[in-house]
Amino acid sequence: MTLAPVDYIILALYFAFVLGIGWFIRQRVSTSEDFLTSGRSVPVWITSLAFIAANLGAQEVIGMCASGAKYGIMTAHFYWIGAVPAMLFVGVFMMPFYYGSRARSVPEYLRLRFDEKTRALNAITFAVMTIFSSGISMYALGLLFELVLGWSFTASVLLSAAIVLVYTFLGGLTSAIYNEVLQFFLIVLGFSPLAILAVARAGGWSGVAARLPAVMTHTWKFVRGASENPMGVEVFGLIAGLGFVLSFGYWCTDFLVVQRAMAADSMSAARRTPLIAAFPKMVMPFVVIVPGIAALALSKMAVGYAIPLKPDGGPNYDLVLTTLMAQFYPSGLLGVGLTALMASFMSGMAGNVTAFNTVWTYDLYQGHIRRDAPDSHYLKVARVTTVVGVALSIATAYLATHFNNIMDFLQLVFGFVNAPLFATFLLGMFWKRATGHGAFSGLLAGTLAAAVTHGLTVAENKGGWLGSTLHVFPSTMAQNFWIAILAWSSCFVVTILVSLASHAKPDIELRNLVYGLTRIPHDPDLPWYKRPLPLAAVVCVALIGLNLLFW
Amino acid sequence: MSDLRVSIGAFFAIVGAIVIATGLLSTARAPLDTANINLYAGAAMLAFGVVMLWLARRRA
Repeated sequence: MTLAPVDYIILALYFAFVLGIGWFIRQRVSTSEDFLTSGRSVPVWITSLAFIAANLGAQEVIGMCASGAKYGIMTAHFYWIGAVPAMLFVGVFMMPFYYGSRARSVPEYLRLRFDEKTRALNAITFAVMTIFSSGISMYALGLLFELVLGWSFTASVLLSAAIVLVYTFLGGLTSAIYNEVLQFFLIVLGFSPLAILAVARAGGWSGVAARLPAVMTHTWKFVRGASENPMGVEVFGLIAGLGFVLSFGYWCTDFLVVQRAMAADSMSAARRTPLIAAFPKMVMPFVVIVPGIAALALSKMAVGYAIPLKPDGGPNYDLVLTTLMAQFYPSGLLGVGLTALMASFMSGMAGNVTAFNTVWTYDLYQGHIRRDAPDSHYLKVARVTTVVGVALSIATAYLATHFNNIMDFLQLVFGFVNAPLFATFLLGMFWKRATGHGAFSGLLAGTLAAAVTHGLTVAENKGGWLGSTLHVFPSTMAQNFWIAILAWSSCFVVTILVSLASHAKPDIELRNLVYGLTRIPHDPDLPWYKRPLPLAAVVCVALIGLNLLFW
Repeated sequence: MSDLRVSIGAFFAIVGAIVIATGLLSTARAPLDTANINLYAGAAMLAFGVVMLWLARRRA
């Protein structure tokens, strides 16, 4: 793929705009809270789009297109049951506690609700994970640009990191959030022509469906048994593992996304953030997954397109997106498409950096290293942390080029740590008897259960390191879903048992933190489209409609 | 620039205009295209940018 001067002009223009937004927002930053929590001042349409964009990293875009080609429209489960229901839940039921508690971060909520050790556990694992995932996506981007455009790995990694660093350093979270909105529109406008062109060339959706096995164009028809579909998953594992444990664990507890809602300018806006975000989230599969499915259909036609291959002869689905762009985008639009790819990478990285920054400054530095300094000191620490966070991400990207196995291993361990999280939050928010000892031991038990499940089961030659194999899963995806289910259940049970055996906090200390001791706002004066429940109902109807349409 | 809609609107209006201009000046097509895609995609981006600018103006 070769770029014309016009493509570079568009990319340069984009860089100029993101830096410009950071430059203008820097005037708004005078306290550490302005820098790290946007001073709770961002309008709801902006937080909503940032809520999705922060999650829409380059790996997500490339990976979803790849999964579209590999698994078909079933990939949309990651959006329709793997995200939207959890987004409704966090907006309607959990945001009153996050926002109402005045906590500045998710780990800080855990300190208010439980105790210091639960917060420290969550804060440390989260901080390490964000750096790791921003480094990994930087690595993926560098590799892709090296392969597709022949750019030097070092140059693309350093340039993109430097730009993210400058605008987050200048304007903090607000700057990251504002840029995420620009990045969101760029991703949508830059990738949707690809979906339209590829599907049109394959003869419309009916043409795509006619050229592929039926399993590629149905979401629910082939999930009765794991052997019926290429994902190797069955309906219970799919709904309980992906739709409940994994999706609620991510969208309801991960500070990277929750931070965007917590930056909203009112409680009502904070609750509506994930609900409004659910609308674009629902249609994202048409932008990022459908091109992959259409690519597979095109490869079965005699138009000269083939799924790219790996050196060993197997299909290299990760290159589907870029090869498709090369087939459909002339110079000009190609520049927009590549800029969109760059934008998706930057939104993901800035999301990680800003979340890391807040957790490090407030939960680890202020919580454990220096407690009572003036605010200007924490603002200085936050700015330095931005630089350190970006530097650590770059270091991780280089580590990934040399030690791929370590990266795979860390990813596995993070999965174990994350799986039980939602049980802790669910009990913490809705059962006032839950205690700090209960939460802490529940999290440890859940992580242990995840590791043991992985050690005793095998899927695609992964796992089984504990010696004996109790069960063989048809796919690693099914294995992951079941690891999550067991980790969650262990955490849930252990938290309850240990809580009952330990001393609970008095009601007075739990006000605004737990259901029953918190006033849930009902906003009867607002029109229906500004109230959480009616909005959630509209999302539900649309979601059911989409699932029926692609049954 | 203090209103985000102005930044976003300006960005897409300029990019849309550049892409349309590319479509007008060059007839080179990508391998699988059957039309001058730059014109259509550029027009869509330009329209989006103008709507954003108009929204920002209306509120101001």
